[in-house]
Amino acid sequence: MIRPRPVSRTRFTVFAVLFALAAPVAASSFYTTSDALSGSVGGTSDGISATSGSFSDDKVVLAARDDAASFVASGGELRGARLEAALRHVREQLPAAREASDMELARAILTP
Amino acid sequence: MGSRIAGARAVLVLAVLLAGALAACPAAASLLRLDGAQQLDPATRTATRELLDAAESRLPPAMRAGPPVAVRWSRLPAGVAGRATRNTLLLNQDLREALLAPQAASDRSSGPSRGLLLATLVHELAHFHDRRHGLSRDPRLLDLAGWQERARKPGRERDNPFTDRSPDRYELASPAEFVAVNLEHYLLDPQYACRRPALHGYFSEHFGWAPVSSGCAPGIPYLDVADEGRDLLALLEPERVYEVDYLLAEGNHELMSRWGHSMLRLVICAPGREPGPECRLDLQHHRVLSFRAFVDDVQLSSWAGLTGGYPSRLFVLPLEQVVEEYTAVQLRGLRSIPLDLQAAEIAMLLERVGRLHWSYDGRYRFIGNNCAVETFKLLHDGVPRLAGERLAAITPTGLLSKLEDRGLADAGVLEDRAQALRHGYRFDSLEPRFQQMLEVARREFDAAPSGAGSRGVGVPSVFPAGTAAEWFALDPAERRPWLEQGTPRAGAALLLLEHAARRRQVAASRDWLKRRYLRADAVDPAVLEAVALTLQGLLQGSGLATRPALLLQGQPGYGVPQAAERQAVAERAAIHRERMDALMAELEEQVSPLLDPSLADGLAAIDANITALGERLRAQQRAEGAFVLP
Repeated sequence: MIRPRPVSRTRFTVFAVLFALAAPVAASSFYTTSDALSGSVGGTSDGISATSGSFSDDKVVLAARDDAASFVASGGELRGARLEAALRHVREQLPAAREASDMELARAILTP
Repeated sequence: MGSRIAGARAVLVLAVLLAGALAACPAAASLLRLDGAQQLDPATRTATRELLDAAESRLPPAMRAGPPVAVRWSRLPAGVAGRATRNTLLLNQDLREALLAPQAASDRSSGPSRGLLLATLVHELAHFHDRRHGLSRDPRLLDLAGWQERARKPGRERDNPFTDRSPDRYELASPAEFVAVNLEHYLLDPQYACRRPALHGYFSEHFGWAPVSSGCAPGIPYLDVADEGRDLLALLEPERVYEVDYLLAEGNHELMSRWGHSMLRLVICAPGREPGPECRLDLQHHRVLSFRAFVDDVQLSSWAGLTGGYPSRLFVLPLEQVVEEYTAVQLRGLRSIPLDLQAAEIAMLLERVGRLHWSYDGRYRFIGNNCAVETFKLLHDGVPRLAGERLAAITPTGLLSKLEDRGLADAGVLEDRAQALRHGYRFDSLEPRFQQMLEVARREFDAAPSGAGSRGVGVPSVFPAGTAAEWFALDPAERRPWLEQGTPRAGAALLLLEHAARRRQVAASRDWLKRRYLRADAVDPAVLEAVALTLQGLLQGSGLATRPALLLQGQPGYGVPQAAERQAVAERAAIHRERMDALMAELEEQVSPLLDPSLADGLAAIDANITALGERLRAQQRAEGAFVLP
């Protein structure tokens, strides 16, 4: 039910592997053991465990990773809502970021 | 039409005693006529009259203005406190002595009391009122009470699945008893407005009047499993919800998800932000309401799914987790279409969410009670205007079509695809993105074949993959050189692909473990047994988050938890979390030895790739003097 505090990297790896030990169908209408286990590794099921620091474990920034990658790789063409949210969030938090362009910020968000 | 002595009524009796002072004021006209007064001794006669006056004083004007009701002490079965016959209200004569006993504090615990008699009178009077006004046949009352409409054929379900945190389980016996029990609490418990706000509103509208209410603890509490730190008990605050979207996960080819999945998305504004379009980007505060079958054993059985073998539970999930799960793991797109609801309607919908979260214990049925049916019922029961719109549907897309036909959802937000992505009306599956990214990387390497750095000895100079599948099929070590020499654009594309590779590796490992787990001879049975036990413990633990009433067992109170219960839930949830942590640690120890080393090594290699690529991208930014996050 409840997600524990950030887990260590080794622990994380084991759990990532354990994901759905028993669920034959990962259909989303069903909550199964896989969910029970995946809950324990946090929302970033494919993420690298975060080091401590300001933006490197910022949930909004981490959630925008794929969006930021798409934006940078497509030269600004692919613009997802999670990137938009992270751009606004970083600019709200960090006055220095207000000077930076969307592309510059997206590159920074890509690798917090 | 009887009312029992035992059970949950003790709580109410307590409330009545606490609010006892109010009962002292006598009613002006007499609705209640005492029959057989001549056979009573003077003390009993006086005390009975006082009791009737006290009951009358609690009634709304509309009930007091009804035709007179005769009340008589009568012989009734033990355990039945009162009964409403056609013309007469009978009270169990065995309770007479309770009436004459001095009102001591010990009455609360020592069985029948004056409070019980008062509750009984009001309960039976509610039956008389209901017979004349038909509350228990009113569709709106039935919606609120939980005798829900069926989606597949006209009519209502026979059972009421809102069984948790009931003030008195007798209310579930029939709609008539539901009305009587709830009117009893409505009229006698000052906390009823806080605990059952929607029903309180319904009765107050019916009577054009409201009883005295106590102050309520704010918001609609729910157990927030997404919360990693602070308080596990979060609040839904209607004033912070800007919009509610119908959230549709598109189908895929898996048997269980072919028809997509229905959810609702609460567009919750960040604390301090004025509700408005800006809130649509407060993604980390948005929550998703998703009904799912809770498979509480280790094997998912289609048969149980068809026949109601699994509980149907409402999950309150962070939007970001849902987007990740669908678009990146299951590779399914999401459409998020705002519903045309007024602020007051959103508030009603959230109240309904609270009732489902704390009281609902329904069964999942593949066709009759799936996610689309549950979502339909939530809209139907929560918002009276929607109940009139004939939205019943048994598939997620079917429900969306009906919402669009009735003008309740405007899919126009999806028309401009780029805008829809940018504003979060659509979240694309990552699947087509993989090929796009691969082509970006290829183009970048073709344009600058020597790369930004040296390629090293023995590394091929032609990009080794034409399709994303080919790229994923490479060994992580074969991908590594390309990660170390691309342009920033190529690096971004390859980073997305490397994260995808990691998810694929996790999935492959999962399948491998599943097969091993299912093949009994592959692993020591004692180990399997231990793993299964731990998994079972984890599952049961997970179940609590979606049926939090279990955390409050043994605690007085019903409906929406108030201050004392909220504190108890928070404390018990914290203890529970610790237990879950311990189980997780135990599972880790049990299963580590079962892992296939090559799969684990592959995962480690991908992690190393991701780290190296991240470092390279950061180094490039620094070299350019570009912005870097602190």
